[in-house]
Amino acid sequence: MLRKEQNDLLTKTGPGTPMGQMFRGHWLPALLAEELPENECPPVRVKLLSERLLAWRDTQGHLALTDEFCAHRGVSLWFGRNEHNGLRCPYHGWKYDHTGQCIEVPSEPEESGFCKKIKLKSYPLVERGGVLWTYMGPPEKQPPLPEWEFAMMPADRRFMSKRTQECNWLQAMEGGIDSSHVSFLHSGELDRDPLFKGSKGNQYNMGDMKPVFEVVESAGGLFIGARRNAENGSYYWRITQWVMPAFTMIPPRADHPVHGHFWVPIDDENCWAWSFDYKVTRALAEKEVAAMRAGQGIHVTYVPGTYRPKANKDNDYLVDRAAQKVGRTYSGVEGIAMQDASLQESMGPVVDRAKENLVSTDNGIIMARHRLLRALKAMGKGETPPGIDLAHQRVRSAAFVLPPDKHFKDDAKEALVVQTGREHVTV
Amino acid sequence: MQSESARMSSAAEARYRINAPNSLPRAIKVIALDGPSEHVVKRLALARWNGATFFTATAFGSTPRKGESLVGWLNDLAGRTKNLIDEVNAADQVVMVATAGENVPVASLIGEACSLKRVMTTALIVGSAGKSDEALSKTLAQLRPWSLMLVIANAEEYIEDMLVALRA
Ligand code: FES
Ligand SMILES: [Fe+2]
Repeated sequence: MLRKEQNDLLTKTGPGTPMGQMFRGHWLPALLAEELPENECPPVRVKLLSERLLAWRDTQGHLALTDEFCAHRGVSLWFGRNEHNGLRCPYHGWKYDHTGQCIEVPSEPEESGFCKKIKLKSYPLVERGGVLWTYMGPPEKQPPLPEWEFAMMPADRRFMSKRTQECNWLQAMEGGIDSSHVSFLHSGELDRDPLFKGSKGNQYNMGDMKPVFEVVESAGGLFIGARRNAENGSYYWRITQWVMPAFTMIPPRADHPVHGHFWVPIDDENCWAWSFDYKVTRALAEKEVAAMRAGQGIHVTYVPGTYRPKANKDNDYLVDRAAQKVGRTYSGVEGIAMQDASLQESMGPVVDRAKENLVSTDNGIIMARHRLLRALKAMGKGETPPGIDLAHQRVRSAAFVLPPDKHFKDDAKEALVVQTGREHVTV
Repeated sequence: MQSESARMSSAAEARYRINAPNSLPRAIKVIALDGPSEHVVKRLALARWNGATFFTATAFGSTPRKGESLVGWLNDLAGRTKNLIDEVNAADQVVMVATAGENVPVASLIGEACSLKRVMTTALIVGSAGKSDEALSKTLAQLRPWSLMLVIANAEEYIEDMLVALRA
C-alpha cells in the first residue's frame, strides 16, 4: 500500500507538480513522425503532462509544438491555416511562427510592432528514430537528445506504435515491471503469439511457475530479475529494465525483436503507451512487421483514424467468455497489450493504493515507488533525477542461463548494457 | 448507451469502492543477520507496526552443527531468547536483513526452517554502495538459496518503505 499523499505525489504530473517536474526534465515521446508527414500538413492536437498543445510542421519543415490556443481570444489553432511559414488563426487572422512567436496581427498597424508582444508557449520538437520528442522543462536545463537504443537504429530495424490508455501513467508503468503476472494473464500468448512463441525460454517459463525474484537498483532505475530452474541446477534468468521514470524493457525471447515501452502521462487520468520493437543487427522481417501492424506482440489494432485501441472500454474490450472458459485467453481479452490495459483501466483512472495488499513478489513495484519518491526528494535539493544521463539510457533487457552461484549484475554485466553491433543476450 | 466497462471505470464510480478493510494484519518477522544490520533493525523497531516483530539472529557467524537443536537461535530486541521454529511457525513472512560484505551463515538455518514450514522469505541486502562486487557476492551467495525474493537496496530507508507497503 501507499499512503494517499504519496500516491498523489507520484500520480500527478501537471504543471507545478513535483512528478511533473521530473517528467519535464526528460525528452519525452510526443508524436509518431508519421503524424506530421509533410510540410504544411494539418496540425495535430497533443496533450502531454496535462498541457494542451498543438504539433505542426511549417513550410520549411520546422517542427513546432505550441500552445493549442490562440492568444487573442482562445480559439483552438487546430483549425488554423498552415500557410507560408506560419499558422494562422482562422478567427481574426493572427499568425504564429514555429517558435510560437506571433508574426502578424492584421487589425494592428504593422509599424506598431504589436505582434512582437505576443508569443505562445512552445517546446522543442525533434525527430529521432521515427518519434518526435519534446522537452518541456526549463530551456537552460535541456539535456542532450535521448539515446535509447531503439531510437538509434536504422528505420528497417525498428517498429514503434502508440496507443492511448485510459488510466494514470503509474498504473500502466507498474504493469511493465510486474513480472509475476505474465504466467497468468498472458499464458495463452507465450506459445501462440508469433512474436513470442518458439523460444527455449518459454519452456523454462512454463516449466517453473514459481519464479524467484531479485530486485537490484541500477544507476537509472532498476533491474528486475526473475529466476527459474533450468537444467543441471542452473538458473534461467529474465532481466527487465526500468529507467526512471517511465521506460521499461521486456526481456527478449529467442531471436524475436526485443520490445519495451514508454508510459507518458497525457493528463492524470490518461497516458500514452508507446510500444517499440527492434533488432540490432538485422532488418525486421516482413512477417514480423506484418504481425506488429496486425496488433500482435505488444501492439494493438485501432479504431480507424485514431490511436485508440479497437478493443476498448466502450465495447467491453470485446471480451470473449467462451475463449476464457476454454483457456485460449486467460481473461477473455485478446492480445497482450489489451489484456494489460483492460485490467489496468478497470482499476479506475487513479487506483487507490491505500487499499492494496502487496506481497513479497511485488518488491519490484515497491522499489520503483521508493526510488521515485527518493528521486523527488533529491530533486527538491537540486539534484538531477536518474534517467536523464545518456549512460542510464544505454541499457538492455536480457535472458540467459547462469550457474547458481553467479550474480546477474556482475556475471552478466555486458548483457545489461548496449553492445554496439551485437544482439541482445537471449535464450 | 455507455458500456458497463466504460461506466464502471470512471472516476465517479471509483468513489463507490467499498471502504471496508480487506485484509487482516500479517505476522512479519524481521530478522537482522549480522552486526551492522542489527542497528538498522533496532531503529526500525521503534516505529509503530501492525504485525511486524523484530529480531536478531543470536550467533552471528556460526551455525549449529547437524543434529544440534534449533531452539534459541533468535533474540527479540529486549534480548530474550526465542525459539526460531516457534517464530517461523507463527509467521506469514520472514524478512532477513543483511549487510553487504558480512558473513551470514545463519541465513541457511532460518531459510531451512522457513522452507520446512512453507513460509515466504524475503532477503534485503543493504549497505552495498561502497562495497566491492566480491563483498556483495559473498553475502548474496549465502542468501540466494533461501530467499524467494531478494532485494539489493542502496538506501536503508527501503526496508521501512517495504514494510509499510506490505502493511507490516
Ligand atoms: S490477483 Fe493481482 S490484482 Fe487481483
Ligand atoms: Fe502484461
